[in-house]
Amino acid sequence: MSSALSHLPRDWRFWLLALALVAILAALVAPRVALTRTARDILLVVDVTGSMNVRDTVLDGAPATRLASARRGARALLAGLPCQSRLGLGIFTERRTFLLFEPAEVCENFAAIDGAIDGLDWHMAWEGDSYVARGVHSALAIAGGLKADLLFMTDGHEAPPLAGGLPGFDAKPGDVQGLLVGVGGTEPSPIPKFDEDGREIGFYDEQDVPQENRTGAPPADAPSRAGWNPRNAPWGGEPASGTEHLSAMREEHLRALAAQTGLGFAALGTAPALLADVEANTRPRPVQVRVATAAVPAALALFCLAVLFGLGAASSRRRGRLPSR
Amino acid sequence: MSWASAIIDGLTREWGVDHPLVLGLLALALLPLLGSVFRRGPVPAVALVPTDPLSRILSAVLCLAGIAAIAALVLGLAGLHRREQSVEREGTGAHLVLLLDRSSSMDNNFADRAPTGDQESKSAAAKRLLAQFVARRPHDRIAVAAFSTSPMPVLPLTDHHEVVDAAIDAIDRPGLAFTDVGRGLALAFSSFAGDTAEASRAVLLVSDGAALIDRRVQEALRDAAARTPVHLYWLFLRSRGARGIFDVPPPGEDTPQANPERHLHLFLQSLRLPYRAFEATSPQAVAEAIAEIDRQETRPIRYLERIPRQDLAGPAFALAGILVAMLLGAKLAERRLAPASAARVAIPTDMRRAA
Repeated sequence: MSSALSHLPRDWRFWLLALALVAILAALVAPRVALTRTARDILLVVDVTGSMNVRDTVLDGAPATRLASARRGARALLAGLPCQSRLGLGIFTERRTFLLFEPAEVCENFAAIDGAIDGLDWHMAWEGDSYVARGVHSALAIAGGLKADLLFMTDGHEAPPLAGGLPGFDAKPGDVQGLLVGVGGTEPSPIPKFDEDGREIGFYDEQDVPQENRTGAPPADAPSRAGWNPRNAPWGGEPASGTEHLSAMREEHLRALAAQTGLGFAALGTAPALLADVEANTRPRPVQVRVATAAVPAALALFCLAVLFGLGAASSRRRGRLPSR
Repeated sequence: MSWASAIIDGLTREWGVDHPLVLGLLALALLPLLGSVFRRGPVPAVALVPTDPLSRILSAVLCLAGIAAIAALVLGLAGLHRREQSVEREGTGAHLVLLLDRSSSMDNNFADRAPTGDQESKSAAAKRLLAQFVARRPHDRIAVAAFSTSPMPVLPLTDHHEVVDAAIDAIDRPGLAFTDVGRGLALAFSSFAGDTAEASRAVLLVSDGAALIDRRVQEALRDAAARTPVHLYWLFLRSRGARGIFDVPPPGEDTPQANPERHLHLFLQSLRLPYRAFEATSPQAVAEAIAEIDRQETRPIRYLERIPRQDLAGPAFALAGILVAMLLGAKLAERRLAPASAARVAIPTDMRRAA
């Protein structure tokens, strides 16, 4: 037998087969190694105020409301988050954020969270007002309590308009990280109006909405206005006019708000861009995942077999068939 | 597995791979048809070789072994697995909508004051007891809806109780101003719209007050109740001093405006649904009421039990190992055509093909 085997070490085919077998055995006993990956804990807050009904975004080539685009972006984000990340959901109207559910693991609860995001609707809004800055402040407080980062999707349309700049921010900027996502186009567009049964009945016009915030102290330029009287007409004698009944995404306002609160800002774009922005502006939480290493030796085994049969095929193309009788 | 992926997967419902692109390497499995593990050797004349069915079979088997070994390796590398399966089992449970009052009065304690010290607010008590309730009912599919000034769908029906717990955890956050229970109920009924399973359905309304229900909403609710038969439970968290829902006030004072809770109770009774109201004036009474609902909702339900995904990369590699070992054995049995002068070994005819 030994004489019969003596030629084997010179045959590369044997050695390739033997190496393949050893690699496969290695693949079978290969350990799973623990790797550290990063997951995110995010509180997603979506603005559901009236201005989010403006149809100045595009989904699948057709005009869509800002809310629909926000929902689409949020669902894409949910699908893109790595497992063991957690996502909570809240809505914003009036001047505060209302938490629907606390952050829950995204892979195991995917269908439920996806359904919840899909169910976001302007009917959930409980007031017509839209104090975006205060909403962001309250969302930051909630996110801080949940130890999550904030993702706030809004068009930044303050209704009524702010009197005298941003309201003060009590907490420390940067304590809670996160991202303001601006939704909507840059051109002012009309805001749909609904009756109390939820039927659309046209658009808001100039006199339907407060054009100026006439609470608090009047602005510095008030004395120069027509009909101004310090007691009877501190804001001037004429009704305010303006373009508050049209809505565009207020990027400058959102950037100022982001700077005040230590958040990032991004306009809602494609799903990968949103995911990249979220990853850049939220804190990674290291999680352990166990990864199988069997693929490395198995790939080596496959390579050996491919070389073996490939070279065998190359060298036996012309002859070597059994006689065909 | 969501319905969307179920449709997309179609035929591959049971089996899947993690890296579909790797399957392209399956083309390599054609190589053993062209080449073999054996050396080529010169044969003076092929006509000398006799026909031998056994050799042909052996050579075909070795060729197939090569194909199968490569295919098994590729499938293992692609991450072949049996998908998560679900088996339908019988248990007790229900499809349940938790309809939770998020009005700011829920933030007070049962004496209707801001909670102090060791007192528990109504919402905190409801949160704690509902979490226990959900934990005791593992087979339920649960949806969550909230209502206050407006109705808010929170979660669709789901069997993943972790996210239900997360929604229940959120109810002791500061609430909103009003209690629009009518639209909340309409929302709860609509949660069953896509639910075709023949399970027992129940709506559990947790609130600490009520308000007038608009006549049109009342009619919509009657319609919904006729369309969607559900069991209705109302857990009324009654504050001290508030009127009970079972007390009949003196004549003349029995108006919906003065007693909205009692009239909500009467309205719910008039829906002709299996309905029970529980009046709880303390956390203990809430616990008793929830235990009673737990006992009531014990009708059989078909629920899906998950069988986790089964990774088949290991078995695939093991199969590849056996096949390669077989090829190696054949390789060890290979004999060369000896020079005629040295005629030492008879040539196994099955090796001739490769030679």
